[in-house]
Amino acid sequence: MGVFVFLPLVLPFTAWPIARLAEQRLHPRTATRLLTGVAAVMAACSTVSLGLLMVVGTAQLPGNPLPDGWSDPEVREAVPYDEVAGKLAIPALLAVLLACARTGWRHGRTRRAAHRALAGLPGTAVAVLPDETPYAYALPGRRHDRVVVTTGMLARLEPAERRALFAHERAHLVGRHHRFLLAVQLAARANPFLRPLCTAVAYTVERWADEEAARSVGSRRAVARAIGKAALASRSTPAGTFAGFAVPGPVPRRVAALLGPEPVPRSWPSVFTSVGLAAWGAAAGTAVSALSSANSAVTMALILYAATPL
Amino acid sequence: MTDRRQRGPRRGQGELEALVLSALREADGPVSAGWVQERLGGDLAYTTVITILTRLLAKGAVTRERAGRSFVWTPASDQAGLAAHKMRKVLDGQSDREAVLASFVTSLEPDDERLLRELLGQAGGEGED
Repeated sequence: MGVFVFLPLVLPFTAWPIARLAEQRLHPRTATRLLTGVAAVMAACSTVSLGLLMVVGTAQLPGNPLPDGWSDPEVREAVPYDEVAGKLAIPALLAVLLACARTGWRHGRTRRAAHRALAGLPGTAVAVLPDETPYAYALPGRRHDRVVVTTGMLARLEPAERRALFAHERAHLVGRHHRFLLAVQLAARANPFLRPLCTAVAYTVERWADEEAARSVGSRRAVARAIGKAALASRSTPAGTFAGFAVPGPVPRRVAALLGPEPVPRSWPSVFTSVGLAAWGAAAGTAVSALSSANSAVTMALILYAATPL
Repeated sequence: MTDRRQRGPRRGQGELEALVLSALREADGPVSAGWVQERLGGDLAYTTVITILTRLLAKGAVTRERAGRSFVWTPASDQAGLAAHKMRKVLDGQSDREAVLASFVTSLEPDDERLLRELLGQAGGEGED
């Protein structure tokens, strides 16, 4: 088994250039699905690997409930640096589980609170709130989804732009985009190296909804104008202060993409292009990660089975 | 009917409902049935106030929510404003709300505003405020 047990913990590194290329070059729908899939598999592998390390680490602790045979030298030999790695894995796995539980819990709580806030209104698909602060978002629900928008936001948009806004939010709901977002957030909690994928998917999901909106209202420019105006209207909240490093934020990139040509959806690009290289690289990295953690899991299970006193 | 026990001349249902509703509208927020009764000068029995509020609820003219062991009531016409107020509280209390409720636009980076105005200029000249 050797160092392979550590591979799933660091392989998410390989996803960084892929996330960047996919978000720039692939169709947003393909990019979202690809990156979410990669993130989910890598996070699962990383957690399995952490769990295996923890078993070995826990077995050495006095008074643990695991079988005595699990702390045999043969078992410990399976993991390099078992003393340190095993002990580090315990708090690490606990931290991962806690962070994931917290993310999931917060998700549910915020969604329930938002639904409760709207409880008194008639159950229409669009909830218009009398509020000067311009904001709009899609609120997925178990029984019915809703689009929440304030009068402040609507007042700043022309009719065509309003249609674009509603089409954008509806695309989020129809495509169940919140599930992709939750999946990559959980993955980023499971392994911090996956955070760039989380940022990338947050962007590709918006682009996906932008493209759907452009198709549904029949005007890429209307969507671009709606996004631009909405962003300028709500700009009072200052963003980061790292002006020196400022690359264009997600909003101008979305507008610029809408002013450009429509992206071509392709199922799987050729390996001889940079996009293809990225896609194949992602696939390879994920496969290696999955294989090495499966390998570790099976080996570890066999060793532990052999060491278990019957 | 509880109405029979009330003091003074018997009033029509519509009149009582209007009285209760106007009392509710004078409140700053959701209030209890006891508050309404006091507001009306103790003219009506507590059970009468509850009966009328329940009837108004069935008509969709008021809404209620649980507060401890009883309910607090709100006139329905203020529902939209109340919902907006509650939603602001949800959004303000959530530091990383963008992670949960994907908003239409995210905040702008320092240089984004200039870039965005240039792009909007291309997008049909309707971008200027």
